Amino acid sequence: MRNILAKLNKTHGIRGCMVVNRDGIVAASDLSIEADETGIGAVTSTILAALEGALKRIHLGRFGRFVITGSEGKIAVVDAGQAVLLVLLNRDVNMGMVNVEIKEAAAAVMEKSKM
Amino acid sequence: MGFLDFIHQWRSNSRIRSLEQQLQHRPTPALYLQLADAHREAGNTQKAAQVLKMGAARFPSAPEITRRQAEAEKVERENEKRRLIDRIQTHPNPILYARLAEVYKADGELEMTSATCQKGIKAFPKYGGTYLVLGQIYVEKKQWQEAAAQLEKSVELDRYNYQALRLLAQVYMQLGRPADAAQQLEAILYFAPGDEAILELLKKTKEAAGQPLSGRQAAVGAGIQRTGRTLVQQRGADGARQVKTTIQRISAGSQRDKALNDGMANLRAVSGVTGAVLVDQYGLVVAADLDQSLDESLVGALITNIYRTTSGNAVKLSVGQFEEGLIEGESGNIHIVQLEEMILAVFARPDVKMGMLEKTIRDFALVAVQQK
Repeated sequence: MRNILAKLNKTHGIRGCMVVNRDGIVAASDLSIEADETGIGAVTSTILAALEGALKRIHLGRFGRFVITGSEGKIAVVDAGQAVLLVLLNRDVNMGMVNVEIKEAAAAVMEKSKM
Repeated sequence: MGFLDFIHQWRSNSRIRSLEQQLQHRPTPALYLQLADAHREAGNTQKAAQVLKMGAARFPSAPEITRRQAEAEKVERENEKRRLIDRIQTHPNPILYARLAEVYKADGELEMTSATCQKGIKAFPKYGGTYLVLGQIYVEKKQWQEAAAQLEKSVELDRYNYQALRLLAQVYMQLGRPADAAQQLEAILYFAPGDEAILELLKKTKEAAGQPLSGRQAAVGAGIQRTGRTLVQQRGADGARQVKTTIQRISAGSQRDKALNDGMANLRAVSGVTGAVLVDQYGLVVAADLDQSLDESLVGALITNIYRTTSGNAVKLSVGQFEEGLIEGESGNIHIVQLEEMILAVFARPDVKMGMLEKTIRDFALVAVQQK
């Protein structure tokens, strides 16, 4: 799992990434900034519950991805099967340029989670 | 601009950039204070206040930053009061009254808060947000019966209002009506599943009502299913007719409504867009253009819940203040954009032209903020 995250972190514009179980427990992380990992894990679980509830009631199907843009950066929460992949990005990153790497990493995390 | 001014501005911008970079890697209270000072010296007091707010959220026990943030907020509130009073004189709408009342309340001016609410209710009796603020005042005064009456009115006008439902549950507990309190909390779990604070309150109310929960999961599942049925029963046959009536219900026929309606129509005209909803800071729908099968109040509540959960935790997620979000589902996307105190959500198919959508959202944002 750490190798997947380390490879993703080499992508320009990515500040770090984590794998969080759906109950909010951090399974693996590789962050280049100071952050409260446990807190991020717990928050992710709460956000995921809100997202999945909304998608179900608005009939938009299974959750795929949530990208938040804030004043200091972006974060992408990506479905990875039994877990989610969290990617912290620079605010000015071109999502088109990093989408492929994020998708590949999420697919790899999904595979690892099955093992 | 003279050469010296240019040099001064260049130095100021460089300092701001450098501080922002340092903050991204190793945030400290001192760095937030320095960045706020740099913005203030550059003449951007609004940005300075924003930085102090983020710093205080990140370091709530740092005394200097919390003191400076409180000062900045006080100044901001005085400016906002003047702006709101002017706006009510020229272009009155119910959200302005509710917001003005809330600003008075934040300054502890309870009589002014109450008077503003009464004026707002008289002018716009069908808007739930003002009843909510009035209910909050009665709660602060511990006048539980009066609080319940106002909050019940607020919930009657918008049955998916998180704040009103939660406060009403707390008031019912004070009045010794735990079963009624539990019903309000279950209603919240319908559009805010898994909300930890609500689950905790529900557990206490159920225990008080002599109906202890068997476990956390049971509470979530049972709460959602039971409430879902109750809401459908309450909504009854008039559910579909509620769609697309929000603007007219709040303030019929004004210039503001026409501008928002036109903006909604422009958004809907973008190829791939399937609907849009504009929600105010109380979670009430200001304008909506949605598929007939969707209940606009429920959609508004779901969007508000996502916004509240995300924006409330944005600092913890290391992204600063929430600006926008893009949710991708299997068969469609939701774009959520913060427009000052309102939230715009646009629903689109996965194949929507993003460039055109973003431009139309920017145009709509200008209209919505001007009409506020």
